Amino acid sequence: MPLKWVLHWQPNAGTTVNSQIINEVTQVVESINGIKEGRWKATITFYKPLLREQALVGEFPRDFLGIALPEQPNKYYLIIRSSHIVLEADSTITMIMEKLQSYKQRVSLNFEGFHYQLGDFQLRVGKVLPNHSENLRGIVMEVEYLPISSMEKARQMMEEFMDIWKQAVSKRTLPGHFVHMEPNFGEFGLGDQYSSQHTAVQYAAVMHQLIATVQAVSGRN
Amino acid sequence: MECVVQGIIETQHVEALEILLQGLCGVRRERLRVHEICLKSGPNLGVVPSEVRLICNLEQTEPTWTVRFIGGAMRGAGAEQLSVLVRTVIESNASKNVLRLFYALGYKLDHELLRVGFAFHFQRGTQMTVTVSSVNKMLQLHATDEAVPVTPGIQMVEVTAPASSETYTEVALAVSSFCEYLAPLLHLSKPGISTGVVPTAAAAAASLMSDGGGTTL
Repeated sequence: MPLKWVLHWQPNAGTTVNSQIINEVTQVVESINGIKEGRWKATITFYKPLLREQALVGEFPRDFLGIALPEQPNKYYLIIRSSHIVLEADSTITMIMEKLQSYKQRVSLNFEGFHYQLGDFQLRVGKVLPNHSENLRGIVMEVEYLPISSMEKARQMMEEFMDIWKQAVSKRTLPGHFVHMEPNFGEFGLGDQYSSQHTAVQYAAVMHQLIATVQAVSGRN
Repeated sequence: MECVVQGIIETQHVEALEILLQGLCGVRRERLRVHEICLKSGPNLGVVPSEVRLICNLEQTEPTWTVRFIGGAMRGAGAEQLSVLVRTVIESNASKNVLRLFYALGYKLDHELLRVGFAFHFQRGTQMTVTVSSVNKMLQLHATDEAVPVTPGIQMVEVTAPASSETYTEVALAVSSFCEYLAPLLHLSKPGISTGVVPTAAAAAASLMSDGGGTTL
């Protein structure tokens, strides 16, 4: 399947994300001839263990996530980032998790927005919103290169695209920039051929970054 | 949700059962070789203790994994009257690292089994699956190549059919009426209620073997 990079918005020091940034980013996409095609939505759910003895919470994973991706509507991804495990399962796994009553859903975040076609590339720009809330927590952008599945073979092409992007963005003064941090896929047992499990791992990494950013901001305040 | 009945048969009559099933189902049998790992939640995990089964299909060139949750049986006067058990079953295919994930979540190995035999998937009033298998235990952890039968000379037969809260009565009837055809060879009942082998099995098997299933039992 085509590979993608999932980037997150890194606000400049002292600034936070707001919907004006989304508008500006959208205009940048359109300025490089991105054609708006439709909506997309991914969801990340945090699970927490249900324990009879709260003192033993340290024995259980604290970073257990479930991810629903639009590219695989019948699948669901479970990730424990600290243990480097990404599991691909049918969406019925969420019903099994519910029946087991050993972990409960703590909070869900939606990644949603529009996707755009630009020649061989597909871009998805999305807001990060808590479920049932309009409280913007972050911005993400997916850059997908349709012709190639090998991450190494596509790397140069992706970097060239990011140069074009930076050039387009430089005409505006935006209070931050998109950052691409490639997780170590090998640690998760994933190879060079791109799969939806790679996407899930990237979302888990983005989530980790978003939490770190929020904590840094609240730490400064 | 599914309807289920189980029974046992002596291994010497399995060939006759296969001939009978072949005639009744009209489909070819599929070989069955599955490694079943039963996990239970660790002592502190969960509101209540929970159990989940990981099923590895070893018949595939590249083994495939399924997570299976079996819920409690349906209760009440209506359920009591049925000759089949109606229970919640939820399955999800999963990637091969599923055991690692459940260990990381705090689940522990309770026991593991290897089922070897065959299965028929067919439509008869409803979608049904019959499995006939010997249940084996492993002498060493995950050593499926060195498995030994739990009950030598006896195989387990299971008939299952997917159902919903709207259809379970009809599905249960279809399963019961199918079981009647197998009655001369084995008796099928709700899981946990063992009825043993049937006395007519040897004669029925001999009859089936002599004419290849042509006789109406």
